Amino acid sequence: MKTNRPAWPSMLICEITRTPLRTALCMLLFLMMALSKAQAQGPLDKPVTITINNEPLKQALDKITAACGVRFTYNETVAKSTVKISVNAQNQPLGDVLRKALAPHPFSFTVLDNDVLIKYDDTKIKKRTVAPADGKYTVSGTIKSKQTGETIIGASIRVASVNAGTSSNEYGFYSLTLPAGNHELLVTAMGQKAAVVPVSLAGSLRLNIELEDNAQQLQEVTVKAAPAGARDLASPQMGVEHLSIQETKNIPVLLGERDVIKTIQLLPGIKSAGEGSGGFFVRGGATDQNLILLDEAPVYNASHLLGFFSTFNSDAIKNINIYKGDMPAQYGGRLSSVLDIKMNDGNNQKFGVSGGIGLIAARINAEGPIQKGKSSFLISARRTYADAFLALSKDSIAKKSQLYFYDLNAKANYVLGDKDRLFVSGYFGKDVLKAADIAGINWGNTTATLRWNHIFNSQLFSNTSLIYSNYDYKLNIKQDVNEYNIYSQIRDFNFKEDMQWYAGGKNTISFGVNSIYHTIKPGEISATGNSGVISQSLQNRYALENAAYVTNTWKATDRFTLTYGVRLSAFTILGSGDYYDIDADGNIVGSKHYTSGQEVKTYINPEPRIAAAFQLNDVSSIKASYARNAQNLHLISNSNSGSPTDKWVASTNIIKPEIADQFSVGYYKDFNEHNYEFTVESYYKKLQNQIDYRNGANVFTNQPIETQLLFGKGRSYGAEFLLKKKTGRLSGWISYTLSKSERMIDGINNNQWYNARQDRTHDIAIVAMYKASEKWTFSANFVYYTGDAVTFPSGKYQVDGVTYYYYTNRNADRMPAYHRLDLGATRQLKKTAKFQSDLTFSLYNAYGNPNAYRIFFRDNKTDASRTEAVRTTLFTFVPSVTYNFKF
Amino acid sequence: MKNTIKYITIMLFAATLSSCEKAIDLKLKDTTPQYVVEGVLTNRAGGCKVLLSKTKNFTDNNDFNGISGATVTIADDNNNVYPLTATGTGIYQNSTLTGNPGHTYQLGVSVDGKTFTSSCLMHPAVPLDSIYLVKDELENNKDGTPRKYVTVRYDDPIATKNYYRFVQYVNGRKEETIMLEDDEFTNGQEVNNNLRFDNSNDNPARDIRPGNQVTIEMMSIDQAVYKYFYSLSNSANGDGNNAAPANPLTNIKGGALGYFSAHTVERKTLIAP
Repeated sequence: MKTNRPAWPSMLICEITRTPLRTALCMLLFLMMALSKAQAQGPLDKPVTITINNEPLKQALDKITAACGVRFTYNETVAKSTVKISVNAQNQPLGDVLRKALAPHPFSFTVLDNDVLIKYDDTKIKKRTVAPADGKYTVSGTIKSKQTGETIIGASIRVASVNAGTSSNEYGFYSLTLPAGNHELLVTAMGQKAAVVPVSLAGSLRLNIELEDNAQQLQEVTVKAAPAGARDLASPQMGVEHLSIQETKNIPVLLGERDVIKTIQLLPGIKSAGEGSGGFFVRGGATDQNLILLDEAPVYNASHLLGFFSTFNSDAIKNINIYKGDMPAQYGGRLSSVLDIKMNDGNNQKFGVSGGIGLIAARINAEGPIQKGKSSFLISARRTYADAFLALSKDSIAKKSQLYFYDLNAKANYVLGDKDRLFVSGYFGKDVLKAADIAGINWGNTTATLRWNHIFNSQLFSNTSLIYSNYDYKLNIKQDVNEYNIYSQIRDFNFKEDMQWYAGGKNTISFGVNSIYHTIKPGEISATGNSGVISQSLQNRYALENAAYVTNTWKATDRFTLTYGVRLSAFTILGSGDYYDIDADGNIVGSKHYTSGQEVKTYINPEPRIAAAFQLNDVSSIKASYARNAQNLHLISNSNSGSPTDKWVASTNIIKPEIADQFSVGYYKDFNEHNYEFTVESYYKKLQNQIDYRNGANVFTNQPIETQLLFGKGRSYGAEFLLKKKTGRLSGWISYTLSKSERMIDGINNNQWYNARQDRTHDIAIVAMYKASEKWTFSANFVYYTGDAVTFPSGKYQVDGVTYYYYTNRNADRMPAYHRLDLGATRQLKKTAKFQSDLTFSLYNAYGNPNAYRIFFRDNKTDASRTEAVRTTLFTFVPSVTYNFKF
Repeated sequence: MKNTIKYITIMLFAATLSSCEKAIDLKLKDTTPQYVVEGVLTNRAGGCKVLLSKTKNFTDNNDFNGISGATVTIADDNNNVYPLTATGTGIYQNSTLTGNPGHTYQLGVSVDGKTFTSSCLMHPAVPLDSIYLVKDELENNKDGTPRKYVTVRYDDPIATKNYYRFVQYVNGRKEETIMLEDDEFTNGQEVNNNLRFDNSNDNPARDIRPGNQVTIEMMSIDQAVYKYFYSLSNSANGDGNNAAPANPLTNIKGGALGYFSAHTVERKTLIAP
């Protein structure tokens, strides 16, 4: 193992670990200043002498270029503008000349490397009076990509003249009520060229808008007058992080497998559950407190290969939103977060194939129209082939072993008419881990979603979903004459109805219902042979999870917006089955049998959600919110890294719903022409009915699980900082989280507060991407976090001649701090209209820091009279290369 | 059976997570030494032994930290009190005292103004029918020779809840692994139970090789003692990657670590072919 490493990272770490928050912040700001300063000089200082008389904008800019050598970049909105400008300058700096010339027009400029970017800027025409109109009408429709026909989620639609705006919903639908008359809609979206769409409203209007893909060329910079795809300053929604799949493309990853779950862990407040774990922690919550949705279907185990990879194949994903506890009312059922992943719909314009070949996995993705422009399909598949190498092994068991996963995403959509659209999508994934014929486990998720979008009228949008999800595992062990099979499953049937009512300019009301029927098969064991094991199965558990919600976003003034609503959840535990009474020591003292369909207990929880945003000015706002969430499915895990055999259990008469109340406040600011974004959010979260194992719990038992559990409360609080550079050759972000998460459980740690395992004081991530040329893109990320809170021995003693350890306070020790640098590079190989390909290189843990995966204790192998602490490390220097293609 | 499933599952996962190990210097807290009581009473002569010791700091050596000067007694349920006398530092014995199944025994330890007590029922012996060796198919010994484990055969009584502990000796060397079984899944059955152990430090003396004399002791233990050893083995290596390690659930009252077990012992020996 390598032990040497460059000095600077460790020095940086020492600095950071010792420095309080203030200093760390100063460092962040300093870094960012340095970045922005680097661009502050240049073309605008160039003197220019020129006279232009009322010439079209593009022509005038060309002349200025000819006169002073400074080039301009702009998009079509600018190029096709009919605005005419005049200039009369004698050796004046270019900046002054442009400022004067563009003053009366809706355009502004900014420096982009050595060029000057001219862009449409609706803020300059704000409040220009619109002819008084007789009435108000609604313009509504769907926003799509012109090239692929994919609907665009979260596109921003702004009408500067009346200071109105909205954004498209998760199906690309928008609705905007405006005074009668002429307006210009400015439509922007991440990764798309902006469009200015003139409308003349004399009645309600259906208007579908197509945006052109922004083909990632440097010259084509998205107009940012309204922040495209960026945090919406005016929306009261807090604690949300958004990623489009393009953003994740260049971030270096382990073994070259792009992974959205790993990428979100680089954002503030979202923390990795450690290497070799697929889980993540949001704001001090446990991994099971995250609701992971794939096209609305809950995914119960989102990791492959024991957590090294997520179940989400990036090729099939369109969009990712993660809500860190301030969930909108349509979401519920988990305390900490909702990770809402939407699959691509499939290209409805032309057939295409893309794919990739990496060191351990290959991917292929095919999509195309079923009916051109109307309907499309998508199939995306991935399989690892790491086990192919096992065949080369000399070991006879390894030779016959299997270790792989595969997954398949499929989706189709069909436009039934102007008002109706059907989607059917599915996911199927499986992991197989097998040691010859002796032992094996396989596990996987299956989800299926059928959705129907219906537009009742220009102001009322409806989506109806029928959803199926299933997670199961099978464990098979053969030994001597014995064979054991263990099977466990959780399965849902889910109905959802969501309505959005765009009630005039000021109110947007969402309401709906959701009903899920859960069946949990906690475990069945079948055995043959002479072991004496009697085949048996634990009783199935049945529950009905119902919820109804209503929420309104009320734009009270131009500056103040309020979202308020409530979600009412009702969790009904149903028979058949036996339910127990248990004493303080976990012994069963009574039981009651319920017949099939009989109600055992219903937990009703009103979950109020309220959020407010006050916009200080065009570039900054403050927000505050409160949300309550209830959770009735709990993952009982005896392992901190998560295992496929962890048990999902529903609330029972003894296991109460977990409840979280989260209060948060935040400050948001865009600066440097929306090139930079800075956000601070701070939260306090109170948790009730938290669950932990008893000391000495038996995880393999046919006793009711409640006999092995203890209950208590929790609290977590923290502050999250994010500074992001969104455009330019160099883009990326710095995120820093300062936080605390604690539990107090009756029967653990003498009933005193103790650190949750995931309590991490400091967590830093720096992500940088640099587009060096058309061919090369480089990227790097660096992460540092405080080690997990763990319990190390405080002493040792002998029992029956063997050394054992003595423990004092729960989780009062720390794993060593974790830090790592990853490097990546993408080389564009060939790029034609018909075919493109690239090579992606990555180096994970580039300076080979031996991060501790686990630490355990043992007698020294050579000197048995001593004990030693042993650290195991999973990954140091993991290089990879992946070839990607698309045609 | 539980051990089999547990070990094999862990091994399956561990194979995927092959990693690099290194002893590191870790600063661990020291703490006030605690008393440890290990009291055993069996149905066989010479099986009455109580060890009294104190915890040591992690960096100390592994020698038994025996405490002398204690008053140690065992009483039966007819109010007969039997004293134990010191036979070494921290070792207290009564060479003639044996227990009888069906009776409850009280342990009393007084030392330095502190009193620790415990009581334990000696359960009837479940006969050990036979033992035999089975070759493991999953892995070999470190040197490539076939790995063998003992399988114990016994008939579990149907009327009672039974808890067992097995101790293995290879040429007189005691295997460190805690081997436990209960009858949760096997009540009233003929049981063939494979006694797996993890030779984590690759010590060849632990392996069962041709010619070795292998002795198995089968103890019918009380539920509290089973829970003690079960929880002891759960946090045996202090690995925080599993649920937070904690001190085992003791049946000793008065604030000491350890256990008191009154149990029967059944013994069988074989010579490995």
